[in-house]
Amino acid sequence: MSIDVQPEQTVSEPAPVPALEVRGLVKHYPGVKALDGVDLVVRQHEVLGLAGENGAGKSTLLKALVGLVRPDTGEIYVRGERVRMRSVVEAAENGIGMVFQEQSLVPNLTAAENIVLGSEGSAVRRGVYRWETMRKMAQEQLDKIGSDINPLARTDTLSFADRQMVEIAKLLRIEQRSQHPPVIILDEPTSVLESKEIETLFAQVRRLREFASVVFVSHRLDEVLDVCDRVSVLRGGQSVGELPTAGAVPAELHRMMIGSTGSDDHYHGGGVQAADRRESLLSVRGMSGATFRDVDLDVAPGEIVGIVGVHGSGREDVCRALFGAEPTTAGDVTLDGKKLDLSGTRAACAAGIGYVPAERKTEGMVGPMSVADNMVLTKQGARCTGPLVSPRKQATLVDRWIDRLSIRTPHRGTAIQRLSGGNQQKVVLARWLIAGDIKLLLLDHPTRGLDIGARSEVYRLMRELAGNGVATVLLADSLEEAIGMSDRIVVMSDGRVTKEIDCPSGAKPTPLDLVKEMV
Amino acid sequence: MSTPVLATPAADVGHADKGGPTLGQRLTSFMPLIALVALLAALSIADPDFLTQRSLTAVVRTSAPLVVLAVGATLVVLCGGIDLSIAALTSLSTVFFALWLPDLGGLTTLAVIAATACIGAVQGLTHVLLRIPSFIVTLGGMSIFSAVALVISDAGPVRITDRAATEWLTLYVGGYVPMAFVVAVIVVAAIALVLRLTPIQSWITATGYSEPAARLAGTPVDLVKVAAFTVSGACAGLASVMLVSRNFSGSPTMADNLLLPAVAAIVVGGTAITGGHGSVWRSLVGALVITLLRVGLPIVGVPSAWEQILYGAIIVAAVALTLDRSKVLIIK
Amino acid sequence: MTLTSPAEHVDTVVARPQPRRGVSFRDAGPPIALVVIFLAFSVLSDDFRTFTNVQNIMDTAAVLAVVTCGITFVLMMGSIDLSAPGLMGASAIAVALLVANNRNGNDLGLLGVLVAVAIAAALGCLSGLALVLLKVPSFMTTLGVSAVGLGLATLMFNGVQPNITDKMLASWAVERFLGFSYLTWIAVACILVGWLVQRYSRLGRYAYAIGGAEEVLSLSGIRVKPYKVAVFTMAGAFYGLAGVMVTSQLSAGLVQAGRGFDFQAITAAVVGGTLLTGGRGGVLHSTVGVLLVTVVINGLVQIGVSPYWQGGVQGLIVVVAVAAAVLPQRRRNQVVK
Repeated sequence: MSIDVQPEQTVSEPAPVPALEVRGLVKHYPGVKALDGVDLVVRQHEVLGLAGENGAGKSTLLKALVGLVRPDTGEIYVRGERVRMRSVVEAAENGIGMVFQEQSLVPNLTAAENIVLGSEGSAVRRGVYRWETMRKMAQEQLDKIGSDINPLARTDTLSFADRQMVEIAKLLRIEQRSQHPPVIILDEPTSVLESKEIETLFAQVRRLREFASVVFVSHRLDEVLDVCDRVSVLRGGQSVGELPTAGAVPAELHRMMIGSTGSDDHYHGGGVQAADRRESLLSVRGMSGATFRDVDLDVAPGEIVGIVGVHGSGREDVCRALFGAEPTTAGDVTLDGKKLDLSGTRAACAAGIGYVPAERKTEGMVGPMSVADNMVLTKQGARCTGPLVSPRKQATLVDRWIDRLSIRTPHRGTAIQRLSGGNQQKVVLARWLIAGDIKLLLLDHPTRGLDIGARSEVYRLMRELAGNGVATVLLADSLEEAIGMSDRIVVMSDGRVTKEIDCPSGAKPTPLDLVKEMV
Repeated sequence: MSTPVLATPAADVGHADKGGPTLGQRLTSFMPLIALVALLAALSIADPDFLTQRSLTAVVRTSAPLVVLAVGATLVVLCGGIDLSIAALTSLSTVFFALWLPDLGGLTTLAVIAATACIGAVQGLTHVLLRIPSFIVTLGGMSIFSAVALVISDAGPVRITDRAATEWLTLYVGGYVPMAFVVAVIVVAAIALVLRLTPIQSWITATGYSEPAARLAGTPVDLVKVAAFTVSGACAGLASVMLVSRNFSGSPTMADNLLLPAVAAIVVGGTAITGGHGSVWRSLVGALVITLLRVGLPIVGVPSAWEQILYGAIIVAAVALTLDRSKVLIIK
Repeated sequence: MTLTSPAEHVDTVVARPQPRRGVSFRDAGPPIALVVIFLAFSVLSDDFRTFTNVQNIMDTAAVLAVVTCGITFVLMMGSIDLSAPGLMGASAIAVALLVANNRNGNDLGLLGVLVAVAIAAALGCLSGLALVLLKVPSFMTTLGVSAVGLGLATLMFNGVQPNITDKMLASWAVERFLGFSYLTWIAVACILVGWLVQRYSRLGRYAYAIGGAEEVLSLSGIRVKPYKVAVFTMAGAFYGLAGVMVTSQLSAGLVQAGRGFDFQAITAAVVGGTLLTGGRGGVLHSTVGVLLVTVVINGLVQIGVSPYWQGGVQGLIVVVAVAAAVLPQRRRNQVVK
């Protein structure tokens, strides 16, 4: 499915050397190919957009560019010269720097200290600070980007947008190290900004173009088209093409991002029709919490409801709140007609709710414990006779489920961390099924990091459970997955439910329909 | 305490694939037993008279309070916390015992254990409800218990005149095995059995290895932690009765020097200070190793002042070997 | 593949619009409390409000202030240090044996003091090295090193208590300048040095930054390990000096010279507004904490509470102070060890 983009040099007319070029970058993680031969060219003094769905390989590519990830094969060229980067510092020496999604500033230092951190030069002589020199150095950087922040203000007293300015000012210090126009990578810089702050940021980005190249990554396609000169699109770890932004519309870009939609078979069809949805199993009315407000949600038995939304829409927290893992401030939640106790995870488990967290390795499973122990962690009763654990009962139970879900493990006593991601996820899912009392499943990115085969198995299992009347709330890894699996899709934006879209098999909405509602 | 923002995913994923016990864990799973045998052998060579029934009896008799203390605190460590108050609590309860004996008579032992269990539970609740790190709660506890002990004992030993109440602990089972040690082993066996036969084992292990995962799997994390502190407190109470049975008095500082040996016993046994990995049997062996060291050093001619230095070195080395480094990316 | 949990994102989102209310209270709270408590005791007790008692308070606070100076830097990094008793014991005995004393013919004077401080600094360095090289958590390394220090002290002690006859060292506790003992002035000097280090040296600023966001420092290409070792070494030196000061007070070297000082210093630092998670507080904060703790204990004794309660009061204070500090930032599912 790959259409390799020819490197820019092959064009007959002589082009200036690109500021940064990537050829055939490959990176494997166990079970997943995060990058599968990515090519990318960043010209001098341009703003290049990088677009792609979750899991397309954007993050891995960016981390490879700043030396946080070492690619298996492939080359990186800076101004025509091949370079190897093993750390952020080496990347900086080559003139490449990145503003991280999670900001990389020390919150309790002053802005000035953050700006010169690691390259203090004359501001620190023999281990002694010269605050005035440091202030001047920082001021110089801030002046470059036209920011009026007080350099001696503590960083955590600044607004988020201001901190981003500090970050950019810090990045621009790499000019001193490389003596060349730098390449600056902005990873999702707008995800938590308000619209006014976004405009300021965009003005900055355009300014940066005067003396640097910029790689701009964002989920919001309209932004990408607005601020970038050109967009490169990644899909499934491969470069699938690029597009000049002049005259382009989001739809065009989005089509490139998702490619041809896979056949519905991948998602194993089926589902609940609108007519069957008369009584709801889960009913949420006016639930509010720290990051969401007045959420209403209904899920019928056997229905799969997908919640979609951009980063920061609050959908993950809604999911966790329903499981009692996130505090709520208001709202009525009933499950099967009974009021639900949201005070803690124990109550949720007892009520028949299951939750599969997005962070499988840290939150989903206990790595060093055995497959069996992980599987029966919640429903201890299933392996006990009275208060005592019955080894025989446990063996039969666990082996039955290993068999039933075709979990590939040497033995039920094997530590779960030695299994592949897909099999780990099946054990985590089995945890909620063994007692047979599951009513509602909350799935937070259940297929994250899984390969195609494992994904398909997880999808089949979801369908089977839905067929047995289990209600499911799904936070999908991609829009494609959300559309493929859901019977109904709820769109969230800024902590509120903004739209509900029926999504019956045969009359699915397109990803673009959803994107329009999401932003 | 925030998780590090940027960990290289490569290392993260790579580790998951290797999995299994680390080399250090494999080694340490047998290390305590090997150390015990090696120590016995070394001491027998240094002093051929050492390997007699009499001196071995003395060793296990001395080790009994340490075994009980270490085993109780092991539960807290398995949950990922630490209990630094055990020694001070033991001292306090020797005073309790001495003061209550005249009024309560035969019931004193039970009363003391019940009281220390309650104190342990209070510490556990403080840790869980107020979200204060366990070492601060127990460090605070240590200070408070010492103060209370000083005040109620008027800063001096309280003598016991009625020795009948603790006499049973000084008996010998079958003429050879000291009753105190038998009781200690019974405590270890009872705790081990309860853990093995009930779901508590997997609750504790899950809590210790990965508290967020345990919580999201509906494990009663808070309850388990409070229970661990309660048992740790009760064990401190029992240990104090053993000490009283030997010294015929209660004193506000009697057990204070047992903290380091107890922590050393736990880590030498191979229980990881990061939680999850370990067992109470290991601490039993660890306590025997530490006691042998204590008894053995003068035999091989090392001044007892080296004991402290040895404890320090052993603690650091044993923790370094058993630590689960995959869990803590930044060591504070 | 972002590795942050959703909860972290929430934090960023929520933190933004809120004005930072807590900070000013945290900074102003302890000094206000100090003044209020001081006034309260002055009203309650006649003996408390005498100048002699103020001198007393300052003299008592001096040693603790020096220990706290050292521990503050460790706490600022988010680490913990339980090694003060061992290091103080070692330096107390060492100095008693090096200056003029009744056990041997040494009479090194000030050089002896320096050697004693150096011994403690070396032991502190040892904790730091064990932390960064063996990756053993600091509360364990320092517990171990404390035992090593006590062992060394016991070895040097060797059964006979060394009494000092050195005029210079003995005068520290007795002679007064502007009404306060030399020890108090030494403590003031230490606080000043500590403050300068914290404000104007890379070591101090990085210690502060390590507590704020250690991973960011590494990301900026800064090797944090040497700084960690240096901080533990510096803390060791402060404990060493404190040990010398205790010897001066007692006119004799005692293995138990530092008993309880680890906990007292942590209490003082926490009460002064230093967070155990690191990244906040400082030497001046801790000094206020030292005065607060000392005033409370002195005041309680003056109004007739048994001095044995001292430890108990401190235990309560630290638990309450930590609880008050973590209460505003509590979150469900947050791991507390």
